[in-house]
Amino acid sequence: MTALNQMYDISEINAKNRKKPVLIVEDDFVNRELLNAYLQQEYEILCAETAEEALRIIHGNSETLSLVLLDLNLPGMKGLDLLREIKKDIDLSRIPVIVLTSDTESEVDSLNAGASDFIPKPYPRHEIILARVRRSIELSENKDLIRWTERDQLTGLYNREYFYRYAEIYDTFHQDEATDALVLDVSHFRVMNERFGRAYADEVLKRIGAELFRIVRSNGGIACRREADTFQVYCPHMTDYAPLARQVTAAACGKDKGRVHIRIGVYPRVDKTIDMELRFDHAKSAADSLRNSFSESVAMYDESLRAVEAFTERLLDDFRTALAQKQFAVYFQPKYGIRSPKPVLCGAEALVRWQHPELGMIPPGRFIPLFESNGLIRELDHYVWREAAAQIGDWRKRMGCSVPVSVNVSRIDMMDPDLADTFCRLVEENGLSFDDLHLEITESAYTEDSEELIRVVSGLRARGFKIEMDDFGAGYSSLNMITKLPIDALKLDMMFIRTAFHETGNTGILKIMLDISRYLSVPMIAEGVETEEQMLTLQGLGCDIVQGYYFARPMPAKDFEAYLKSK
Amino acid sequence: MLTIESLRGWGANVDEALVRCLNNESFYLMLVNKAMQDAPFDKLKEAVETSDLDKGFAFAHSIKGMAANLALTPICKPIEQITELLRHRTEMDYAPLLEEIEEKSRQLMALL
Repeated sequence: MTALNQMYDISEINAKNRKKPVLIVEDDFVNRELLNAYLQQEYEILCAETAEEALRIIHGNSETLSLVLLDLNLPGMKGLDLLREIKKDIDLSRIPVIVLTSDTESEVDSLNAGASDFIPKPYPRHEIILARVRRSIELSENKDLIRWTERDQLTGLYNREYFYRYAEIYDTFHQDEATDALVLDVSHFRVMNERFGRAYADEVLKRIGAELFRIVRSNGGIACRREADTFQVYCPHMTDYAPLARQVTAAACGKDKGRVHIRIGVYPRVDKTIDMELRFDHAKSAADSLRNSFSESVAMYDESLRAVEAFTERLLDDFRTALAQKQFAVYFQPKYGIRSPKPVLCGAEALVRWQHPELGMIPPGRFIPLFESNGLIRELDHYVWREAAAQIGDWRKRMGCSVPVSVNVSRIDMMDPDLADTFCRLVEENGLSFDDLHLEITESAYTEDSEELIRVVSGLRARGFKIEMDDFGAGYSSLNMITKLPIDALKLDMMFIRTAFHETGNTGILKIMLDISRYLSVPMIAEGVETEEQMLTLQGLGCDIVQGYYFARPMPAKDFEAYLKSK
Repeated sequence: MLTIESLRGWGANVDEALVRCLNNESFYLMLVNKAMQDAPFDKLKEAVETSDLDKGFAFAHSIKGMAANLALTPICKPIEQITELLRHRTEMDYAPLLEEIEEKSRQLMALL
């Protein structure tokens, strides 16, 4: 008896409950009756005379069936084919199969196809058959227990922790073989989850899991579900991954062709001296490089990505020093009210720039997404808020006036329970009014956990802060949700201006966005306005405020001070 | 009526078969009765005579498994022989073997 069996005395529990079901697949009456006579005391016997009938029973009892006894010589579909069906199906492959045969050749074939044992014909003593059945069931139950801990419950693939361990074992047996590390994920999985529901998304993940299982089973290698919609494969080197991408995509889509797009990042011919997790981090970097591409499905980890990673490392290493040495500078970009024919300066947005002593001026696009992904953005945001608030306070003190300045509040900041207090303290310490500091919250933050966010934002508004919804139109909000949001202004995503004026020349979408802002009775702020034509068009459509190079670029505080004086 | 003694007299290895049948004589006799009624002797003959050797193999193989389990020794020998020949699709005159199988099965049927 195994240690675990002793602990819980499983055999006793089983005896008290129902018998374990065993399926006999045998077309011959005599053979079937003999097996039935041997096993019926201990097991619940199910019978099938053909492979087709057996498959139906197996699918209907896939979770409970303890064993299949399979005759190879069946009418119609042959026993060996049924065995292969069972073993290639991720849901059925756990069921042990004992093959009944009188041919030595078939014994080898069936063991190769995944049979756990065989029973010869004519049958040996019934005690032998019973012992073999018991042993196969016990072995498979032990294996099930291990599976339970090492497998992802949804897809049946390994979970991440065990995967790394198995990958190391794989290496010991394939030392000189070129091996690839793959990371696969689903583009815009979160959106799919919201649009089609959790059950549908889970189905897609299960289909991907089953397909990857099938692929590694035939090509070699191992697969796991890393987390959420991300999978990993460690397999023999391949030169072209496009067919695999098509295969997995087709499986993921099922009947809904084109609905799911799979991205694959490949770190080919891995360096086996580096850490296993790092190999998959490289593959993940490659997959992430496809984030905004719908036309490409496969990306390789190569020299250029290696350079990007090295640069990223450098930025992360230098972050704390940069904060301490105030290498981050707060710039101000004017906002203009355009409701009257003559545009009027009505505010500014505080934007951060990194003046790196060795790398020079680093554009925000290079470091903000990075700091957002690892949480450092929180410290940077606090720094910018402090600097901006102090600057506004200074202008108020020295010049007796200022304009409202909006600061960016990242998604992660919204989870900070002290957020409202922090802003109140900044207002108080710098002698500001609540109207001096506007808070820009990105639209995508709202879709994450709307209820909680609405509560936080409502709290901030109750204290007197003005809230601008940033990147409006880029975050996939439903129109229904937008009507419930507590906001004071919509800030149109820059992409709309770019598309309307540069790509399509069609300003219809701008009109719709403006209609939404009017419906919500909040002003619309358009960013990225670069030309007079754009400004006049937006003015004509009824846009309230614009910001962009047409009026002014973001500028350092002292330049903005001069600018403010001149206006 | 089929009895243990008549089966033994015909040549079946009754002792071996009874071990397999949990020493339950009536269970054994019931299985022999049913098997002889169901066994595809006619189909085997027809398939071989029409030169459908693969089909013939499937029938022979199935009879072979049943006969071996019931230790019907006089049938086992020719049926094992024909199964192996058919497995390899041997082109030959199967009439003598078929006749022997028919003869043995007719003898057994007479005991039922």
